[in-house]
Amino acid sequence: MNRDSIASRLAVATAALAVAAAALVSLALLAGASPLDALRALLEGAAGSRAAIGETLARSTALVLTAVGACVAFRAGVLNIGLEGQFLAGAVAAAAVGPHLPGTPFAVRLAVLAAAGAAGAAWVLPAAWLEARRGVPEVLSTILLNLVAAAAVSGLVRGALQDPSADYPQSAALPEIVRFPPLAGGSRATAAILVALLLTLFAALVLSRSPLGLRLRATGLAPSAARAIGLPASQLRLLAFAASGALAGLAGGLEVLAVTGRLYDPFSAGAGYTGLAAALLGAGNPLAAAASAILFASLGAGSSAMQRETGVPGALATIVPGVLVLTVLAARARAGRTGP
Amino acid sequence: MSESIGHGPSGSLGPPPSEPSEQSSSFYPALELRGISKRFGETQALSEAALVVLPGEIHALLGENGAGKSTLVAIASGRLTADSGEILRRGRLVSFRGARDARDAGLALVPQHDLLIGAANVGDNLAFLDPRAPFFESAAARRGRVSRMSEAFTLDLGDAGARVDTLPVGTRQRIEIAGALSGDPEVLILDEPTAVLAPDETAALFASLRKRADAGGAIVVITHRLAEVFAGADRLTLLARGKTVRACRTSETTAAEIGGLLIAGAEEGEGRSGKETIPLEAEKGGSALNGARLAVTDFAPRGSQGRQISLSLSSGEMLVLLAIDGNGADDLARAIAGLESFEGRVSLDGRDLPRDGDPLAFRAAGGAFVPADRREEGLVAALSLSENLALPDPPGRMFLDRRAMLSHARARLSALGVRTSSPAASAGSLSGGNQQKLVLARELARPARVLVAVHPTRGLDLASAAAVRARIHEACAQGAAALVVTADPDEARLFDAPIRVVFRGTVSGEYPPGTPPSALGRLMAGVAP
Repeated sequence: MNRDSIASRLAVATAALAVAAAALVSLALLAGASPLDALRALLEGAAGSRAAIGETLARSTALVLTAVGACVAFRAGVLNIGLEGQFLAGAVAAAAVGPHLPGTPFAVRLAVLAAAGAAGAAWVLPAAWLEARRGVPEVLSTILLNLVAAAAVSGLVRGALQDPSADYPQSAALPEIVRFPPLAGGSRATAAILVALLLTLFAALVLSRSPLGLRLRATGLAPSAARAIGLPASQLRLLAFAASGALAGLAGGLEVLAVTGRLYDPFSAGAGYTGLAAALLGAGNPLAAAASAILFASLGAGSSAMQRETGVPGALATIVPGVLVLTVLAARARAGRTGP
Repeated sequence: MSESIGHGPSGSLGPPPSEPSEQSSSFYPALELRGISKRFGETQALSEAALVVLPGEIHALLGENGAGKSTLVAIASGRLTADSGEILRRGRLVSFRGARDARDAGLALVPQHDLLIGAANVGDNLAFLDPRAPFFESAAARRGRVSRMSEAFTLDLGDAGARVDTLPVGTRQRIEIAGALSGDPEVLILDEPTAVLAPDETAALFASLRKRADAGGAIVVITHRLAEVFAGADRLTLLARGKTVRACRTSETTAAEIGGLLIAGAEEGEGRSGKETIPLEAEKGGSALNGARLAVTDFAPRGSQGRQISLSLSSGEMLVLLAIDGNGADDLARAIAGLESFEGRVSLDGRDLPRDGDPLAFRAAGGAFVPADRREEGLVAALSLSENLALPDPPGRMFLDRRAMLSHARARLSALGVRTSSPAASAGSLSGGNQQKLVLARELARPARVLVAVHPTRGLDLASAAAVRARIHEACAQGAAALVVTADPDEARLFDAPIRVVFRGTVSGEYPPGTPPSALGRLMAGVAP
């Protein structure tokens, strides 16, 4: 990567942040609060204290993993829009097996995560099969599977998975000993974020440095050439589908293990969709996507604080990721047009 | 046929908006490019190149692969902007912000690779290309335009209702040419228009270009075929390494001189002095013992009726299939490579290949394939040269062995004479000819048992084409059976191997490489010689 592209990336990032800040200020004004107070509350809520940083990191885990999952799919030319559904599938698997497994906490955690990853990968398989055998665009099938997953969660927490000791639509809690402990006192952050970051690093290395990664990228960049050259294109696509689904499933499993401890309805605040946005912002690069995911998580943590302290509706801050992604995509499209 | 190019039967295509060439208003060139420079990353594509095109002439633009021809016409037609230099139309300085500006100024480009919409039919594509097409138009009117243009430009545009992505590349190029002419440009630039045309179509194209020039239009044709230049062009400009090295009337020079300059330019650029050594006769030893290396029995593309092709090749044998695109030779090649399903039998070393199309089975049996569409099927434009050359099985276990990839790339690139700044450059940044060499470099990196090459020398300069032919002969000498598909009778003869002509799904008997091109041309058109 040359210096020009780093400079232009910085310029794009600065412009995008400026636009996002402007959006936030006007939203604060609309809600009748002082923009400065709102901004301070937002920043303090995102990173102003150990608790705030912990909150941001706790929220990051799921977003980082779904973002990296999206990257793995995108780079292989698979448009997996179903990360939300795969995230839910992972969470369901974790909530289903977690409370009942015997063994040491470490072994149980591993088993729960394995179940979550497998469930995420399994949830993407119908889409992969339909695409390979029937030519159904995966964009459509994965979105539809999201709706199925959300409905399934809603049904399960009122049926098979409902906590017998409570009337709420929620599953039985995982034993406290199995759940990830906080990294530091008074913080919600757990080792889950480290798991997510390690997986990010692993995915980045596989994509950019391994023979498999080169084959996946070639398949994504030029599908017909990949086929003609003699790459096993359909197997590689299936692998990308499954890896992407497994990462999103792991995100769901870690969310249950480290944050919520159980499944309830509605379970997800759109982790799969925010992960997609982070992958777009990171242009399919796992490291950049993970950084974007952490940025979005900090915005989420900050906006909750902003709502508490200034009354500016926190939902307004969820506009910011959208504005950011659109600004960056527009700037990239412009940069792409001036190239040779 | 009798219509001149400027006068379509509908009257919608008026004569070119220019005066006859000898008039005083035409004192200025129709198009003049002065001191054009353009750099892509580390590659200086053009340095101070110049081009002067007069009204009423057919002007040939020549140069080896990577000389900057395509870049120069892309600048002239507003698709790229020059780093420095001036563009003058009829003596007036102009600047283009896009292809549309250039088109409004009377400049149209027929690109080397068509930019048609594959999912739309012929009638719709021509409607999109025709600047005078009304916003709302009936399907019948669009069909009418196709037959009108087909007649006016004497180009076979195929069925108006056919989806463009189902058409052979030759037909697609003719559609693009018709689209460019529909804007009635004064200066028409064609980037290697004849590379995909059959001989009689080439003659027809030059005839209609001549009519257009006679009516005052200016025409620039990029080509590698010197015979065409001296038969059809008035003047020529020769580019080498981004500079204009010769500009003169064709009557002032000879094909031998220009051919010499072209090869000199190519060799200087590649730092090579020696000529390519071409093995005269491929070794045919052992073929009787081994049986057929490649055997095709009663072949027909899936879903086609009746017509069948059978042929067989032994180790070390080469066969040239000569056909106009769309007659079945390209289908056969793609089917052997596992990219299309078929009826009948195709076997490598006696083992049948699956009929449903499986590129992996073809590769596993020792097959190598050079596709017709190198940009779409031959390489991954966004990846680097060394990454392209490492596919499909990159070296390394956990991590890519970048060092092995680089040294492999350097060896392969220098063996094929690919001119590039570095193996880290992207494959898409190479010129068309160098891309073709890159594909061959990858396919011939390991000994092939069967090599199927479709138009392997299309669009290549003389030196590169000779190098490519030499590599294919080498592969044969090492035991491969080679099946070469081409649409150019002159080129077919140069392979110095038996020629069989494919016409409408059937294959002729063998003709010796010495068969006159005119006879081959008649066979390609389905006329008995």
